[in-house]
Amino acid sequence: MKRRELLAAGTAAAVGSLAMPRLSRAQGARVLRFVPQANLSSLDAIAGTQYVVRNASLLIWDTLFGVDSNLMPKPQMAESYEASEDSKTWTIRLRPGLKFHDNEPVLSRDVIASLNRWMVRDTMGQRIKASLDAMEAVDDRTVRIRLNKPFPKMLFALGKSNAPVAEIMPERIAKTDPFQLIKEFVGSGPMVFKRDEWVPGSAAVFEKFAGYDPRPEVAEWLSGGKRVMFDRIEWLILPDDATKAAALQNGEIDWWENPVPDLVPLLKRNRNVNVDIADPLGNIGSFRINHLHPPFNDPRVRRAVMMALSQEDYMRAVVGDDDALWKGLPSFFTPGTASYTEAGGDILTGPRRFDEAKKLLAEAGYKGETIVLCVATDVQITKAQGDVTADLLQKIGMKVDYQALDWGTVGARRAKKDPPSQGGWHIFHTWHAGADCINPAPYTAFDAGGEKAWFGWPKSDAIQAGIATWYDAPDAAAEKAAMADLNKMAMDFVTYIPTGFFLGYQAWRKNVSGVVKAPFPVFWGVQKT
Amino acid sequence: MLGYLTRRVLATIPVMAIVALFVFSLLYIAPGDPAAIIAGDQATPADVERIRAGLGLDRPFLIRFGEWLWQVVRGDLGVSIFTNLPVTRLIQQRLEPTVSLMILTLILSIVIAVPMGVLAAWNQGTWIDRAIMVLAVFGFSVPVFVVGYLLAYVFALDGFGLGLDWFPVQGYTPLARGFGPWLSNLVLPSVALGGVYIALIARITRATMLEVLSQDYIRTAKAKGVGSRTVLFLHALKNAAVPIVTVIGIGVALLIGGAVVTESVFAIPGLGRLVVDAILRRDYPVIQGVVLLFSFVYVLVNLGVDLLYTVFDPRIRY
Repeated sequence: MKRRELLAAGTAAAVGSLAMPRLSRAQGARVLRFVPQANLSSLDAIAGTQYVVRNASLLIWDTLFGVDSNLMPKPQMAESYEASEDSKTWTIRLRPGLKFHDNEPVLSRDVIASLNRWMVRDTMGQRIKASLDAMEAVDDRTVRIRLNKPFPKMLFALGKSNAPVAEIMPERIAKTDPFQLIKEFVGSGPMVFKRDEWVPGSAAVFEKFAGYDPRPEVAEWLSGGKRVMFDRIEWLILPDDATKAAALQNGEIDWWENPVPDLVPLLKRNRNVNVDIADPLGNIGSFRINHLHPPFNDPRVRRAVMMALSQEDYMRAVVGDDDALWKGLPSFFTPGTASYTEAGGDILTGPRRFDEAKKLLAEAGYKGETIVLCVATDVQITKAQGDVTADLLQKIGMKVDYQALDWGTVGARRAKKDPPSQGGWHIFHTWHAGADCINPAPYTAFDAGGEKAWFGWPKSDAIQAGIATWYDAPDAAAEKAAMADLNKMAMDFVTYIPTGFFLGYQAWRKNVSGVVKAPFPVFWGVQKT
Repeated sequence: MLGYLTRRVLATIPVMAIVALFVFSLLYIAPGDPAAIIAGDQATPADVERIRAGLGLDRPFLIRFGEWLWQVVRGDLGVSIFTNLPVTRLIQQRLEPTVSLMILTLILSIVIAVPMGVLAAWNQGTWIDRAIMVLAVFGFSVPVFVVGYLLAYVFALDGFGLGLDWFPVQGYTPLARGFGPWLSNLVLPSVALGGVYIALIARITRATMLEVLSQDYIRTAKAKGVGSRTVLFLHALKNAAVPIVTVIGIGVALLIGGAVVTESVFAIPGLGRLVVDAILRRDYPVIQGVVLLFSFVYVLVNLGVDLLYTVFDPRIRY
């Protein structure tokens, strides 16, 4: 063999061997490669409320009830339930044969310990706890919850998808302090977490749980038979959006939870990729105001900003020119849901009233104090909103100190109650998942309980009373009326300013089917050919 | 020699101690709060405060530093705040990809850059010299991530439709699963990361070679009729090696910095990404552990470079 032939043969062999991994990857129809919205840094969806953690936890842990796409709770781990006429006593019976991943049976004591941990952290759970007389095991499969006050929303509380989700863990794990992360990830859900294959920040692997017995009903969001068609689901954490897009086009990943708007046109042009709306309940942009310090401790100043604020400006900055992705939102609540209301939301519609806003600011005594605007510039949605806010405030004559920070810093900074000139803040931006804004229960940002409220510490006794009225509402009509009152009160008080409603996309390879629209990735029913 | 080696190794202890204090202090005064990140967006300020207390982050600086230092002295780098996994395990998971990337980049860079520098010096002032220097300027000027994206576009996505989709866009395959898959994942990242390094080594090689080639003993060798290759590689290059080796050693720091970007662009689960993720989340034990490791490696590389001097220049004695 001549030297040139030898080199050619060697090169061919080398190139052939380099190409091998792609061929072997293509054969993995029983493996789903999924890129989540963020790095999965922990798996405790009780101690932490990050959406990505909640989404992963839904694979590992199951719930007594689960909401369907109409947000109606359906029995999940529960075989049956019984509620007393006054909604004070709830008896829940577990399905037979439920097992944890360590093959131990799911017992009433596990349910009680899990609910006890959840009640400390969840707003609905806290309401249950406040009126709890007893939670007792009737037998190994039956739990009774006795309250001293009616709680008609019990099933929704136990089945909602909002974090913290009432997931059932083995008693030994559920006894962990709810403010500390659990160290064992054993659930009874459809997938087992492969702790030995976990490379935090890079990959998390879930393997099908052979002992899982799906319900006979058709799966819908958190309800019905959670039939997973894969042996393995691999969550791959790719830090760079362009790399994610390239990997999806190249078939190296199967499903990307939240492609950034800039790259969506590119993905839509690819014949092997499907792109569609991810979550029909979308998101609500948030202009969060610190109520503790001047000038925003005066509702007139908050209203002045609100009457000049253009939601269109915010939404175009967030999602670009795709009009299908956003709409104006004269409401604090999620559009398209049963109790949606726009009562009192006029201030956010129509032509923006800059002159009136300036007049109101002067009337409130604003004298050019510097407004500290904390912007997480490493998150596109907050950066876009922050830029629009800086412009808006200047237009109405306010002096702005735009502080470009990273999200980690904003997360710590917003907890400071100090005056803005001493390390505190006036405004920061975030957004709320629409699923969390369907009603006041999971909506921590809506609460106006002062010291105990979310960042910004709004205090309005009227709003708190309105929330209590909603909780006590005996039927849908009463709930809707309570929501209308709440929306009007919160608009007048300006708990915070909604900057608009926006949707996001998800993208997946065409050989993957069964992907549905939901507030979280639904893996059951998804298939790959 | 042995005494020198012992002194240098012992000297790393105060260096590491200073690094430890510096990193810990820096993180202490840096804004951000892991408790807020764990708690998530739905948590109330009171929740965040409870989590912070649970993590012991509300304790005074000196107590926290003392505890951590005592752990480190015992070989324990602590546990990640988020994952509850030992930092040593996290580092072990990430070591192979980063070491593979750096070694491959180093080999690639030396194999390409040294001959380039020699060739440029030997052909000083010609178009070959200028072409090589233009390439070097290009290597210096174009950011790693731009080169990375371009390479992925051409050689993974076949952006120009030339059938060049030879490599995967992202990821890493451990060497244990075969040399081919391992190399396949590392070719593009190594080329992207190597650009700056090749430029640096090529320029230093050229400059040093030009200096050596003007020496009397080179002229003497040529006058004696010694062949060009022998003059270049045996006489000139060996004598030019000390500065080149120095630059290669210094460049390891450059590689560490570049690896952070390269690992992000090509989604390689290495130490660079580990530390960036940890910084973004304020996972203090992980940041401290990785920075300590990087510092230690850098000190060792410098020691290795010093020892290599004796190989290339027998006049150097320790």
